[in-house]
Amino acid sequence: MSVKARILDTLDELRRHARQQGYTVELLYHEEDSHLMRFANSAISLNTNEHLVRLDVTAHMERKRASYGLIADPADLDGMRAGIDIAGEMVEHAQPLTYEPTVPVYEQTFVDETGYDPVLAGLGNQERLDYMNAAVEGLESEDIKLSGIFSCGSNIVAVTNTNSEHSLYFRTSDAQITAVLAHVIEKWEVIAEQSAQNTGELDPAPLRQELAFLLDLYQRETPQQLPLGTYDVILGPAATAELVSMMNWIGFSGGSMKRGFSFLSEDEVGQQVFSSQFDLIDDPARLETYPYKMDLTGIPRKRYPIFEGGVFRGFVWFQDDADEFGAEPTGHTVFHKSLVIGSGDREIGSLQELVDMPRQSDVLYIPFLHYMNIVNPSKGIMTATSRFGTLLLKADGSVAIPFNVRLTQSLRNIFGEQVDWLSKGTVAYNTSDSYGRRNPTAIVVPSFIKIDGLEISHSNAAF
Amino acid sequence: MLAQIRQQIDRLQAQGASYVDARWVPLEESRYLLMWNGNLKENTSDRQSGVGVRVLYKGAWGFAASSDLSNLGALFDRALDNAQAAAQRVTFPVRLADKEAIQATFTSPCQIDPFSVPLADQIAFLQEMDGRMDRAGVQQRVGELSFVRKQVFFVDSEGSEIEKRITEVFSLLEILGKDDQGVAHERKFRLGRRGKSTRGWESIDAEVFGQEADRIVEELNQVLAAEDCPKDDRAVILLPGIMWLQTHETIGHPLELDRILGYELSYAGGSFVTLDDLGSLRYGSDKLTARADATLPNSPGSFGFDDDGVACQNTVLIDKGILVGAITGRQMVEEANARAGRQIFQGSGGCNRASSFYRVPIERMTNINVDPGQDGTLEDIVRDTEQGIILDGERSWSIGSNREQFHFATEIGWLVEDGEIGPVVKNPTYKGDTVLFWNSLSAVGDESTWEVGYVDNCGKGQPNQVMQLGHAVPVCRFDNVRIGE
Repeated sequence: MSVKARILDTLDELRRHARQQGYTVELLYHEEDSHLMRFANSAISLNTNEHLVRLDVTAHMERKRASYGLIADPADLDGMRAGIDIAGEMVEHAQPLTYEPTVPVYEQTFVDETGYDPVLAGLGNQERLDYMNAAVEGLESEDIKLSGIFSCGSNIVAVTNTNSEHSLYFRTSDAQITAVLAHVIEKWEVIAEQSAQNTGELDPAPLRQELAFLLDLYQRETPQQLPLGTYDVILGPAATAELVSMMNWIGFSGGSMKRGFSFLSEDEVGQQVFSSQFDLIDDPARLETYPYKMDLTGIPRKRYPIFEGGVFRGFVWFQDDADEFGAEPTGHTVFHKSLVIGSGDREIGSLQELVDMPRQSDVLYIPFLHYMNIVNPSKGIMTATSRFGTLLLKADGSVAIPFNVRLTQSLRNIFGEQVDWLSKGTVAYNTSDSYGRRNPTAIVVPSFIKIDGLEISHSNAAF
Repeated sequence: MLAQIRQQIDRLQAQGASYVDARWVPLEESRYLLMWNGNLKENTSDRQSGVGVRVLYKGAWGFAASSDLSNLGALFDRALDNAQAAAQRVTFPVRLADKEAIQATFTSPCQIDPFSVPLADQIAFLQEMDGRMDRAGVQQRVGELSFVRKQVFFVDSEGSEIEKRITEVFSLLEILGKDDQGVAHERKFRLGRRGKSTRGWESIDAEVFGQEADRIVEELNQVLAAEDCPKDDRAVILLPGIMWLQTHETIGHPLELDRILGYELSYAGGSFVTLDDLGSLRYGSDKLTARADATLPNSPGSFGFDDDGVACQNTVLIDKGILVGAITGRQMVEEANARAGRQIFQGSGGCNRASSFYRVPIERMTNINVDPGQDGTLEDIVRDTEQGIILDGERSWSIGSNREQFHFATEIGWLVEDGEIGPVVKNPTYKGDTVLFWNSLSAVGDESTWEVGYVDNCGKGQPNQVMQLGHAVPVCRFDNVRIGE
């Protein structure tokens, strides 16, 4: 029996049980096979494998709701049935909501395995190690050590409910590679990363090229403390993706806005908020974002502009938020969106080309923003520190190595009128975290975005 | 099951594994209730069970975990296979510090099992608090209850067999309002421990929570009407509601020995601390004594035995300002001693923990505490402050990758001028360089100011692990700190 048939049969059986008991329930099945090879001090510091099956049961009774989740033995159907019974019992004691939560009806069974590559999902220990060895070949030394991860696996999400005769089923494969080379004494670090949805996207050569280039710069130049002040800044893909992730949380989410955690207001829909060069689209056609082509309430997902030419097109609504605040759901009841920042027209394809770029003034290149946090959600103010290969590209064409610096800035400034240009080339930057259940996520961003006049609020005196 | 696990451990040893351990979790349950503006938005229970297996082979770790226990042999084989693969890239072969083989049990102190309390009573508590916070100025009201109950069996190839039964209770009240410019401000109260209470359902005292709800509503309204925090350098007086986070981020994390040795470099970051610093670095002023105390009664950072099977300890980290210790487990102390060429650590500090059966143990904070001092009450410290600001309640926190500098925003500030508490200010922030900051510690409050704060969301590691721990901290004053940026 195929994996898909096994899971859909399991959901059918559990739905049958719930109906027999007279429960109204939603069922979410999650199965992951996760492999993570972790590197530190040039060794494999950890090599793990987790195979986990989860069942989430949400029971409804008029306006009352209760959920029960279990990490389950997939063969233990009785245990899963018991989970449904517990949720059914819990909901009796719940308090009614002030709104009517939606239990969707799936009109047809939807199966999407287009994002699943069995070869990538089944990658073995030796292939992962060979990739990493190739990415850093000849670059390690007594003083320069490898850290990083090679994370890969497969992920299945399947849903059904007692209002439906059908189910939705999604299966993806993913890989996330991070390679860091760090100087054990001087404590500087450089990074190269890759995201893959299928085996064909795995290629250690670009990582090695970027690491070698950065290593050469870092070994040649003496790091220096930057004076505080205003700088023209170029953000790399990791920094941009992190900022967009934050905007996803405190920007265009309708629920966040209604709860006071957004820097955007309803009055701003249709208004110019960011630079006219800034487009942000939720585009489930982009396979490299591990997309959901249908949301978990059965709404087909389509290209959804959030910002076009810097104009805010509207909030996105998760079903439960839409229920609570009387909004129309927008097909965003998913574990992650497929966010894409539109590219620009600047022809800069690599870090080498960026460094070689003619320039009129000093420019600070920040590839990565570490430990970002929200200082003030209403104002969209973020703070974070640069990390992993920051460069000061000097007006005379030379390159200096700055110690890390802190940026405390509003998103309106960062993506507003001060945007000078965006690169033509884009990158799928993997934003998956490994908290809780596997949820591969990537954001497509321009390789480089130049922003003029950002203030540095703190400058380190050492790494 | 335990007999089967022991058989598998023996089998892997026969195949060349130098060390094997397994954590079997027959049952871990959690319950989470979230009431938001009177709506019970989350009413969730979870359960999990499974086995995690850790294998050491030729100096390299392998780990595997599964909730599918139908083929235990295959799970142990996967862990060994992972270790054998990892053995192809070893730079410092893993050695484990000596420990005693322990047969023991640990049960966390709990008078009333929160899972035995009817759901209706728990919802009624949240409704009562929601009503209490539903007052002028408050636009968003959040009440949370969170409970965990787990049973963990630890078995290793060195003869240890430990059973732990741990129950945790967490709770939070949080409110949000907007000022006349539409800017949101928050105020919260988080369950901690004052006095010697236990940490079951009995710690949810509706009278205390009600008083705290009244206080945060009053303080939020003061913030909404306040002027912005000034931007200057002055003394900051940190109340326990922010002092715990300062301690967590700039003492706890930088003193995790795996971070010091570079094992978290590609993700969470490293530490400005080096092995050479242990025993000599003046980390703070001589008023600072900090410790990792996993023996503190009734805190989530006390758990009996760590996931190396080492008993909990009370370890001094910073003694009168001098760095003397770290947060350690069996592997890292051996490597640190060898790398330093001297015996820095006498053995494991018992701090290696995993967040679940499907995660591998790593160095985690226990209760990272600052000892109370001799500088009296909060009132005494204020009276002794010429120009300062009292800060409370974490709002945002961001720390450099080696924990060398930080930027914090807090929920509320009270200006202090000439020994008197002045007006409330909004949007307070402060920042600093870690060592300079702790060396500017000029006053440490006495026992009357010392509180245990519970933390249920400390993240670290890859795959990531969210851990529960505690911080017992007094009111502290630091001089010449930049605020308002």
